Amino acid sequence: MEGHSHGFGLASPSWRANLDVVVTVLIARLKVISRYKGSLVMEMFLPVVFAAMPILLGVAVGGANAGQYFQANTGTSNFKLYMLIGACTFSVVSIMLWLVGYWIRREQETGTLESIYLAPARQVYVLTGVTIYSLLRALLAFVVSLVIGSLVFGVNLLEGNVLGAIGILMLGLLPLWGLSMLFGAFIMRVKEANSVINVMTWVVSFLMGVFFPIAMFPPLLQWVAAIFPPTIMNDAMRASMLNLSTFFGSWYISLAVMFAAALTVPLVGYGVFTFTGRSVRRKEGVGQY
Amino acid sequence: MSSIIKVEKLSKTFESKERKKGQRRKLKTVQALKDVSFEIGENEIFGLLGPNGAGKTTLIKCLTTLLLPSSGKAWVNGYSVLDEEDSVRASIGCMLMGDRGLYWKLTGRENLDYFGALYHVPKAVRRDRIDKLADLLHVKDFIDRTVETYSSGQKMLVAFAKSLINDAPILILDEPTVTLDVPTARQLRTIVKELNESGKAILYTTHLMHEAEELCNRVAIMDHGEIIAFGTPSELKASLALDDTLDLEGVFPAKAVEAVRALSGVTQVAMKSKNGGKTSLSIISKSGGTILPQIIEALTHNRATIEQLRPKSATLEDVFIAKTGRTLDVDTRQIVVQRGEPGGGP
Amino acid sequence: MHTFLDMSWKTILEYSRYPVAFIAMFAQIFLIVFMFIFATMAFRAPGEGLANHATFAGVMIYGTVTNLLLSFTLWDVGFSIREEQVRGTLESLYLSPARKFANLVSRVFVVLLWTGVMCVFAVLVVAAVVGGLPFDNALLAAVVLGFSISGFLGIGFIFAGLTIKLKESAQLLVNGVQFFFMIFSAQFFPFAALRSISPAIVDYVSAWLPVSYCVDAFRSLLVGLPAGYPELAPLSVEIPIVVAFGIVSPAVGYLIYKRAERSARRKGNLGEY
Repeated sequence: MEGHSHGFGLASPSWRANLDVVVTVLIARLKVISRYKGSLVMEMFLPVVFAAMPILLGVAVGGANAGQYFQANTGTSNFKLYMLIGACTFSVVSIMLWLVGYWIRREQETGTLESIYLAPARQVYVLTGVTIYSLLRALLAFVVSLVIGSLVFGVNLLEGNVLGAIGILMLGLLPLWGLSMLFGAFIMRVKEANSVINVMTWVVSFLMGVFFPIAMFPPLLQWVAAIFPPTIMNDAMRASMLNLSTFFGSWYISLAVMFAAALTVPLVGYGVFTFTGRSVRRKEGVGQY
Repeated sequence: MSSIIKVEKLSKTFESKERKKGQRRKLKTVQALKDVSFEIGENEIFGLLGPNGAGKTTLIKCLTTLLLPSSGKAWVNGYSVLDEEDSVRASIGCMLMGDRGLYWKLTGRENLDYFGALYHVPKAVRRDRIDKLADLLHVKDFIDRTVETYSSGQKMLVAFAKSLINDAPILILDEPTVTLDVPTARQLRTIVKELNESGKAILYTTHLMHEAEELCNRVAIMDHGEIIAFGTPSELKASLALDDTLDLEGVFPAKAVEAVRALSGVTQVAMKSKNGGKTSLSIISKSGGTILPQIIEALTHNRATIEQLRPKSATLEDVFIAKTGRTLDVDTRQIVVQRGEPGGGP
Repeated sequence: MHTFLDMSWKTILEYSRYPVAFIAMFAQIFLIVFMFIFATMAFRAPGEGLANHATFAGVMIYGTVTNLLLSFTLWDVGFSIREEQVRGTLESLYLSPARKFANLVSRVFVVLLWTGVMCVFAVLVVAAVVGGLPFDNALLAAVVLGFSISGFLGIGFIFAGLTIKLKESAQLLVNGVQFFFMIFSAQFFPFAALRSISPAIVDYVSAWLPVSYCVDAFRSLLVGLPAGYPELAPLSVEIPIVVAFGIVSPAVGYLIYKRAERSARRKGNLGEY
């Protein structure tokens, strides 16, 4: 059957048109969050509150020797910075999981998912806009929380290799994105997504060793945690900023594992996500919530 | 007239697991569409009429690629809905029923800009077009406020503007006037006619027969996932020419209704409940004038109370009643074929 | 009474249709408890076992119980009104002749049932890990807990009223208040830890919060009133404060809630998202 050439966008969109999609999605989301200023502020302070709890617990347990005992168990006496890094890294992980992994469900909840699917823009470009937005929010929360936390707890961020830690964070964001996609695929299938995500968030924080070294786990659980990309990221960042050795003992191995994760996890995650999306569309349609 | 939408034996079956207390879980199959076929021409307003649950929205979702059909084919603007989804989407502007597809924390203008980008409308063109749409739909007063401050009618107008942002050759409108007040609904129908006159093909679904009669060049009436009648409104009404319609209001016990049904010459009887225990009865018969005394006698003999009686000219709803024995405002259940758990026997 | 039973049954029925949520909550508690246990282990003196910290573990977990009760009260009572607003069912609820207070109370009953089970679970987990927890003065502790819950409900009612007015911002406020009490009422750690950071925080913030006395009295009683406990004031001072809180708070909370509801009905924004 012959096509009729009316309107825009029937030909393959140019790279400019695709870039326009990415930028528009990003700007729209930034506009929305700017109208929820309280949420942004809360996001900055949350890691500080989370870090405060194990810090105060530690002071209660160890008293004046808290630092000394902590060093015996972890290799560093700077437990405040240790907890702060863990809490801030966890906040990055949590933001990515919620903003990227949950974005389809959120669009379903607001009733805009069908409108997005009705448009010819490829989902990958919409997702790119969502991802960039999530990264910006995550990184902003990370940096600001770290600075606020350092002032509240009186720790010197510049003692260790801050640039190295930021580099590790950047590398760790790739497999984290892939995990978010796997997460998102799971959410598409599950009806009670909120509850599952709440638990998954705590599972992730537990496996990451947000408040303790994973060396304290039983051996099997240690290795399960160790191959989990956010754990490696958290461990390596602490090692960088606190001059500790990594879980794998050698920097090279940690970096090699992180690179391998950065290459494989995003591909697997995106593949599962798109496959699940098509399957859901075949069975129920995209608007179902 | 060449076809801009072509549907060939389109079917859609939904499966879900149903668990009743004390029983084994059963796989429940609902056939929402059954071998639907039709064509829509360029510059045509094509109506899809039917009660809730007839399959109209399912059909729309298949045509707009939101839902993948179980079998059959369809082409929109020459592109297959199965293989050329992006081109199909680029060819249509769509407003779904009860459209909630707006971001509450963005203004109407920001929403239109956002979705315009998703349709690859260039930025400068978008800006211009949004201003024109704001004028056309009289939404200038509130388009720069966030959507959360809008009334439901205002939201529907902006959602309608969203469907026009890409100036597509085909417009698909699924019950667009459902939450609008009478003047706004009338305004929207006028705009729909103007858009058609400017060259757009429009697929318009509604369960309001007067809308279909006012707007549509041709109408397909759906019920239980099938098209049960097809043609122009005049053709469909003319198909009842041999039949007369009598509308009565009052109190009609079941025995009275059965007695009327049993009269020879009566083709169909449909009941509709109204407030205060009253009912309205639509009686379609071969020669209403001759049979009228028998109808009255059958009713009064069985303790019916007739408060109003009026013959009327055939409407599309009468066509529906003639085909199905129900009125358009009755919710229809889909055909359900129940099977046991796979591998578990019948 | 009839309304209360009907609404309680409706809430239980709603919750029962979310089995995953139910299991997820237990899993969450389990994980949170274990995270804190592992965090604590990182501060042990070398060679020291967990059993040496049974009192400390008791202080932590009994304080956590008060946190769970306060959190669930804030969310499930205070924020439930917002959920009804979002779902669009709030106006329908108000259109029904059922008494609104019965609606709130029925939620309370179900939430307490649910949370109580969660708390018992959390205590048992910690007891299993540490090898036993102190559990003294149970009756008096139960009385203190009862008045504390009553006081928390008052805070929940205040939030129920606030959510009608604040709408989306209410969620933020609930989060903020939750964290505020977590830190300044020292729900997860002894007040001594807060005092070691800054005595002024305890003297000028914690000591002015009735919730702090609820936490301190409850857990001090259960761990057997060892030296240094209760931490804020003697028990003869703390218990009257808790009792007064338990009586005054729900009354004040309910008045504030009714006022907010009347104001919303006057302005016509009950159903506003």
